[in-house]
Amino acid sequence: MISFLSLNRRTVGLAVILLVVILLEALEVRASIYPGLLPYFEWLKNSSWLGYLGTTYGSVYATVEAGHLISMAVIGGTILATDLRLLGVLFRDIPSEIITAGTFKCFKVSLVCAIATGIFCAAGVADKVYYMEVFWIKMLTLLTGSCFMIFIKQPLLSSRPHSEINPWILRLLAVTSILIWFTVAATGRWIGFS
Amino acid sequence: MLNELVYDFAIWLDDSAWSTLLHESYYMYNWVESIHVLTLIVCLGMLFMIDLRMLGYALPNIPASNIAQRLNAPMLVGFTVMFITGILLFYAVPVRSSQSVWFRLKMALLVACAVNAYLFHKRMNESVASWDNNAKAPKRIRMGAALSLGFWSLVVICGRFIAYDWFDCEYTDPNSFSQFLSGCIAGQTRY
Repeated sequence: MISFLSLNRRTVGLAVILLVVILLEALEVRASIYPGLLPYFEWLKNSSWLGYLGTTYGSVYATVEAGHLISMAVIGGTILATDLRLLGVLFRDIPSEIITAGTFKCFKVSLVCAIATGIFCAAGVADKVYYMEVFWIKMLTLLTGSCFMIFIKQPLLSSRPHSEINPWILRLLAVTSILIWFTVAATGRWIGFS
Repeated sequence: MLNELVYDFAIWLDDSAWSTLLHESYYMYNWVESIHVLTLIVCLGMLFMIDLRMLGYALPNIPASNIAQRLNAPMLVGFTVMFITGILLFYAVPVRSSQSVWFRLKMALLVACAVNAYLFHKRMNESVASWDNNAKAPKRIRMGAALSLGFWSLVVICGRFIAYDWFDCEYTDPNSFSQFLSGCIAGQTRY
């Protein structure tokens, strides 16, 4: 039993996370947390300096929004370069280990920038986004994407030579990653229309 | 004179049924705008990876020429779709867009981006053999990469600013500097 757990740590970890999410949903924990978050969102919009800056200075808000978009572009670049290599579309003559390692630092920095600018953007319209379903879908997808990158994809890709990993696992990782980050970008865009 | 020509052209576009349909179709307009932004992420994502490689921040172990050549194709695919959707967005709101300071500045910056890209590739192709495997490109190439990052960031900021009506002809004082920059026409009735 112990050897099975130690050999399949990530798989077991993922199964536990999924089980916890299902339990939280079944026990209506999410539904009970949601109303309790409203005061924080109202505080963010009306009392925090972030909300004040965002609502008072339209040009600052728009510039930070552009910064958010640029950070998302860098995330998109690192994700596409890595995942298209794993799928065998780009850089076929360069080992995928080098591409994975060479883009991860940029990914981390741009993710931090995207989250920081995203918090500012959300603060300016906090009372609006709180009621948007698409905003919460984006937040959950962003959380999923970040956890997927940091706890699953990157540890797996840096743990051993990629030639020792089943090619279908590599393809699955790449497709999952592209789909998650595409959803983050698309839902982000849709927030603007809601 | 030039402003009047641009205005007349914008009015002609605005009078077409397709322009009105695209502008008034909630889902179609949003789809076009979403595709514009998503392909911008693809195009700039690839371009920024090339620029960051030249500056030594990304993929330093891979020859610079290799990165530039391989990422050019997906970047151009993204750029083509972004360009087409950009034209459609202009076509949907031609009068206001053509008289937006930010739109005009964005177009000027796009020309600057094109000139910079031409010079960047020219300089790179001339000298790449001597520094291809270095983690950082020579200063002149790094300067081009930094300019590319700066220009494109300004393009994105201007694109975002177009949505705001701070300097729209409709809301600014006649004969003001912003009206001059926007190319507003005296007595114009359509905005």
